[in-house]
Amino acid sequence: MKRLYKYFIALLAFAGILESYSAFAQPAPKGDLSVAINYYVNNNTVPSLLVRVKTKVDGRFQPVAGITLKLFLDKDSAGTSIGSVTTNRKGEGRIYIPVTVKKQWATSVKHTFLATFKGDKKYEEAKADLTVSRAKILLNTTDKTITATVLEMKDTTWVPVKGVELKIAVKRLTGDLPVNETPAFTTDSTGNVSADFKRDSIPGGKSGSIVLIAKIEDNDQYGNISVEKTVSWGAKFIPVNTFNKRTLFATRDKAPIWLQLIAYSILIAVWGILIFLVFNLFKIKKIGSRLE
Amino acid sequence: MENSIIDEKIINDLLPQKFGKAGKIWIALLTVICLVGLFAYYRQLRYGLVVTAMRDYVSWGIYISNFVFFVAISLVGSLITAIFRLAGVKWGSPLTRIAEIIAVAAIIFASLIIIVDMGSPERFYYLFTHGRIQSPIIWDVIVITTYFFISLLLLYYPLLPDIKILLRFKEKSGNGLHKFYGYLGSFWKGTPAQFKLSEKAINILCITIIPVAFTIHTVTSWLFATTYRPGWDSTNFGAYFIAGAFLVGAGAVVVAMYVFRKAYHLEKYITENHFEKMGRVVVLLSLLYLYFNMNEFLTPFFKMKKSEEGYLTGLFSGDFAPVFWFAILIGMIIPIIILLFKSGRKPLPVFIVGIMVIIGAWFKRYLIVTPTLLHPFLPMHDAPASYLHYFPSWEEWAITIGSLAGALLIITLLARIFPVIPIQETLTEQHEKAV
Repeated sequence: MKRLYKYFIALLAFAGILESYSAFAQPAPKGDLSVAINYYVNNNTVPSLLVRVKTKVDGRFQPVAGITLKLFLDKDSAGTSIGSVTTNRKGEGRIYIPVTVKKQWATSVKHTFLATFKGDKKYEEAKADLTVSRAKILLNTTDKTITATVLEMKDTTWVPVKGVELKIAVKRLTGDLPVNETPAFTTDSTGNVSADFKRDSIPGGKSGSIVLIAKIEDNDQYGNISVEKTVSWGAKFIPVNTFNKRTLFATRDKAPIWLQLIAYSILIAVWGILIFLVFNLFKIKKIGSRLE
Repeated sequence: MENSIIDEKIINDLLPQKFGKAGKIWIALLTVICLVGLFAYYRQLRYGLVVTAMRDYVSWGIYISNFVFFVAISLVGSLITAIFRLAGVKWGSPLTRIAEIIAVAAIIFASLIIIVDMGSPERFYYLFTHGRIQSPIIWDVIVITTYFFISLLLLYYPLLPDIKILLRFKEKSGNGLHKFYGYLGSFWKGTPAQFKLSEKAINILCITIIPVAFTIHTVTSWLFATTYRPGWDSTNFGAYFIAGAFLVGAGAVVVAMYVFRKAYHLEKYITENHFEKMGRVVVLLSLLYLYFNMNEFLTPFFKMKKSEEGYLTGLFSGDFAPVFWFAILIGMIIPIIILLFKSGRKPLPVFIVGIMVIIGAWFKRYLIVTPTLLHPFLPMHDAPASYLHYFPSWEEWAITIGSLAGALLIITLLARIFPVIPIQETLTEQHEKAV
């Protein structure tokens, strides 16, 4: 009993040491977040912001999900709040510029977007900003030639911009296909670029419709701007309607002739032999009857 | 004089015999199992296919496994009768009747089990009135009907000379059977002209049955192979099925040989030499089937496509692994090991191997059908969790076991009515030997 008591005291002491060790342990350091804002305008409609949040794990950037950021236009105040977004599993969150900041939007041709994260148990607080100038693209098509014009808002008027790189392509399911062998174009002094359409054989819909796109990507001054236009320059898709045709999957009266020929000739041949053999039995019977 | 005594002895030995006590118990047992199966089928007709465990995932359960098993076993008629005959294999002639009886019984139940699987039996009629020639199911219906008819003819033609002999023993066969024999073949007088016509017909049947037998099982395999599913999407399936069918058919013949030999004391006619030779046939067929199995499973295993991974791992190491390895071991590997030794080709070991092959083959058919259905390329949405597993209901088991008992009942009754070893052929061989 005495020995047992000693063991109990020793166990308590050991537990106490362990407890004190964890009590004095430092909390794990919080991670740093990298926040980036991207600006998008499609077809000259309502602009949107795409926020990307990453953190470094084992020396490599990984997207962070579930981070809620507050977004503001030009300054961090209640009247200029764009809203808040929470990142998805790709570490991304998208928000459209709301009508509540229309007044602020109209005050300037250049705007700064602010994103703030106030920090949580795992990550330190983080901030990011992006400044863009308001711009737009006009897309015109004549006789399989595409002309795109890049314009920037100066004071109250749109003026052409020289030296902006943009791509002109055809929208496809998995990506955009350049309209010819030139991957990107640069605007001239009139803000224009011209491209010849050389994808005649590209499949379009029933009417040969394809969607052209002109886009400025990741531009430091203008962000991401794109404009689309539907033209009927693609190869027309003529659907082959097999309904009511002789196919393997048609109704019974529409079986392919070749199949019927093969199947019925085998059937006639085999059953012909069998009928012959039944008649053969009658012949044997006749011989037997004659003897009776 | 001496010849006629020997002839009478042979006839006496080979005449169908009345059931003894064991035979009557056997018939009663099979009848009871069939009746339970019939009751289960009544329940299925009364309440619908909902009494089975088949649902949206597994829509072909043990009924179709059983159907494939019956079709496979029926191929033995073409192997033993036709292929052996055309190849000039003389020792196989005492086994032809047994093979044909098994083939007829199996093909009858293959047709019946398909009707059971349809749910409403009138659908069978609709197959003929509304069937599409483009559908492999219609090919199967046509070819099964054809094969059934050929098997009947192949059983009937060689029976004619034996019926003439049976008609001589009215007091032994009884009034009812005597009348039946008279109806079947009283016209057979054994004239050279009749023999000539009969021989010609049997030869034509033997030639015709081989392509039809190959077609019946190839088309059955196409019911699966023309469907795009893991495990069925294979160009190997026709040959794989044929090889398996010949194996199980040969297994059934050795089992029947042993049982008839024991029950009717036919040791002089079904000799140890027959078991030795059939043992060699079974080992050859087992090796062939094992080869096709390796083709069927090794290459998909090596590639392990993502879409087939669930199905393959389920077979090799998952839920179906015990049944899979049991079927491979019992149905092929152990039979090969036993039969490679001379002492393994004695009657009793060959009989045991035959049973192993049949059991292995039945489970193999189960594995061909069910695991594939549980692993479609595109899983269903919102399917209840219970649909992801399949274990047959008691009705399915009762109907399946009832059909197996039914096939055995037909074999037993045919063996009661007709000589299991062709009498006339045995007499002719005896005379040829004497000369």
